Amino acid sequence: MVQIYDDYKDHADFLTVYVREAHPTDEWQMKSNVKDDVCYAQPKTLRQRVAIANDFIKRFNYPIAFGIDDITNAANDAYSAWPERFYIIDESGRVAYRGGMGPFHYDPDEVRAWLAARYGAVRHDAPASPRPVASLSSRK
Amino acid sequence: MSPFWKWTIAVFLVLLLAAFLVLSKMAGSPRDVYGMVRYALPHMHRGSLKIGDDAPDARLVALDGSDHFHIRERTGGRPLVLIFGSFT
Repeated sequence: MVQIYDDYKDHADFLTVYVREAHPTDEWQMKSNVKDDVCYAQPKTLRQRVAIANDFIKRFNYPIAFGIDDITNAANDAYSAWPERFYIIDESGRVAYRGGMGPFHYDPDEVRAWLAARYGAVRHDAPASPRPVASLSSRK
Repeated sequence: MSPFWKWTIAVFLVLLLAAFLVLSKMAGSPRDVYGMVRYALPHMHRGSLKIGDDAPDARLVALDGSDHFHIRERTGGRPLVLIFGSFT
C-alpha cells in the first residue's frame, strides 16, 4: 500500500484509519503475531490505542497520513471496516470505491486499478532485495 | 429412536464436522476456529454503504493523542483513499 501511496500521492490523498485490533493477545491471537512480535491486548482506552498506533508508525517508518478511531469505534462502525478495508471517496464526498471485507477480500490491487484508471498505470521493476513491508492487519 | 431421527442426527453431525474442517482450513487451525467464531465473526459486518452514497463522517484522533479532525475535512479537492486496519 505504501508503494501505491508513493505512486499516486501527487493525484490523491491517503488517510489511514486505525481501528480496533484484529488479533490482540486477549482475544484471537495468531501464531504469526507471536512470531512477528506484534503482541498487544485489545485497547480499552483511547490512550492505549494511540500508543499501539505509534508503535506501528515507528516500527515501519510509515509515511501515510494517520487518524485513530475513537475508542467508541465510530469510524469503524460507519464504514463496517473491521478488520481491514479500503474505500475511496471522490471529490464530491461520495463513495467511489468500496473494498471487500478483510482479510480475504482486502485487495490493494483494486485500489491501484481504480487510481490507474484515472491517472494512468505506474509500473515498477522487481526490487533487487526484499524490503520490510508496512502493512496493517496483513497477518494470516 | 426411529431410523429417521438416527439418520437426521447422523447427517447433522457430518455437516457439523464438515463445517468445522472448512473453518479450520480458513482460520488456520482448529484452535483458531474458536477465536474466529468467538471474536471475529461478531465484529465482521458487510455494511450497507454503496458506491454513490455520501461518505460517512467520523472524528479521528491524531497520533499525538490530543488533536482531532474529521474524515470529511480531508475530502474535497482530490480523491481520498481510506485504509482501515490495525497493527495486529
